[in-house]
Amino acid sequence: MNFSQINLLLLSGFGKTCSLFFLTLIFALPLGLVVMFGLICPFKPLRWLTRTVVWIIRGTPLMLQLFVVFYVPGMLFHTNLFVGTSGRFQAALVAFVINYSCYFAEIYRGGVESIPRGQYEAAQVLGLSRVETFFRVVLMQVVKRILAPMSNEVITLVKDTSLARVIAVAEIFYINEVRILSKAIIWPLFYIGVFFLLFVGALTLLFNYAEKKLSYYKL
Amino acid sequence: MKKVLSILLAVLMICSCVAALASCKKKDETVTDSQQIKNKGYFVCGITVFEPMNYFNGDGDLIGFDTEFAEAVAKELGLSAKFQVINWSSKYNELNSGAIDCIWNGFTFGNENDGVSRTQYVDFSYSYLNNSQCVVTRAADAAIYTSAASFAGKKGAAEGGSAGESVAQELSTDYTAVTAQANALTELKSGAVDFIVIDVLMANALVGKGDYADLAINTAVEPEAEVYAIGFRKGSDFTAEVNAAIKKLSENGTLATIAAKYDLGNALIANIGQ
Repeated sequence: MNFSQINLLLLSGFGKTCSLFFLTLIFALPLGLVVMFGLICPFKPLRWLTRTVVWIIRGTPLMLQLFVVFYVPGMLFHTNLFVGTSGRFQAALVAFVINYSCYFAEIYRGGVESIPRGQYEAAQVLGLSRVETFFRVVLMQVVKRILAPMSNEVITLVKDTSLARVIAVAEIFYINEVRILSKAIIWPLFYIGVFFLLFVGALTLLFNYAEKKLSYYKL
Repeated sequence: MKKVLSILLAVLMICSCVAALASCKKKDETVTDSQQIKNKGYFVCGITVFEPMNYFNGDGDLIGFDTEFAEAVAKELGLSAKFQVINWSSKYNELNSGAIDCIWNGFTFGNENDGVSRTQYVDFSYSYLNNSQCVVTRAADAAIYTSAASFAGKKGAAEGGSAGESVAQELSTDYTAVTAQANALTELKSGAVDFIVIDVLMANALVGKGDYADLAINTAVEPEAEVYAIGFRKGSDFTAEVNAAIKKLSENGTLATIAAKYDLGNALIANIGQ
């Protein structure tokens, strides 16, 4: 195997890694908001239900969730939900979205609860409805406040994608192990490290930029 | 009181979710495995990359004896064959969940390393190749290993869930289960382990040449002979159909041609299904 062949293989794997990363974010960011509403819902049964779900998802390894999502439906009901060539990827995506939306929900909740009571009262005095208060007053401040913990979680997600290999999703580490490492070629491991470093480096710059842009109240 | 009520309601909600899930189970059991596969138009073979059975050539195409064998059977049945690289130790989960339709990758007919017969997990097709496990060491150390006892206390590796795993276990208590046979070769080459146990057909194809020129097959230990067969879901009616196709391919010489191509002529079982 020459350099360009290995490069092509790794790039195809990194493409899978990236699409898993971006799709997880696209679905988990809004879903996290929904889960958060459950967590702060005044209707207690729903709140307890959501808390139980978050407890289960945060309390069990993502690897276990990947196995459960991919293998259990087929074993119990004899119809695999995730067929075809992209089935494994879809299963991994479902597991990642569920897992990450629970983490995001807790970060959102922390942000929402950090907004002083007085702002809600002020909004009420000004005649804003509860929905308006949330979306127009609270949410934008929350975005600002949770940026740092979110960047942490997002960077973790970049590297967590490699867990998808346990259900044989062809992400970069899987491709490397099956096609390259199995031929006793070691150096691509370091090369993969560079891929991740660059990717996370770009994300870090992006978050720094966003933080600077959003720091408009600071003097 | 309010708290108790809310907990109760929450429990009720969880229960109803579970019940809703369980009710999905009432599914049409009349569709047989073979019909399901025919509706799809293809069957998926669970494989690991392993020369000479299923491996990628220089252009990145999947070739190998089992690859061509599966394609020939698929053609015979009017289907197509797809290949999915799996973790060998998850093979039964893959099969039972329907993610793959058969385990077709130099699958040894015999026992798991806990002594449980594999027929408890899968239905086997006719066996088609003769194989045995074989021990491989670095060529430089070959002189140290003169008997089975000389492996005691050495570090070994074999594919998890493979026939070689039990051999490795017998030779030394200090062994590691890796996810594919090819990874065992890497372990050995990198010096992480002292010996590995892999299929003799694979060792013959790889060891002592190319990337693995510094490795050597050890002849001091000669584990028992075994055979390869294809594993299907328990009770599947697809097994019989594949068996019929294999018998035909054995009779008309197609199998012998494929075997000769991969230098497996001696290992091929003659007159399969007679």
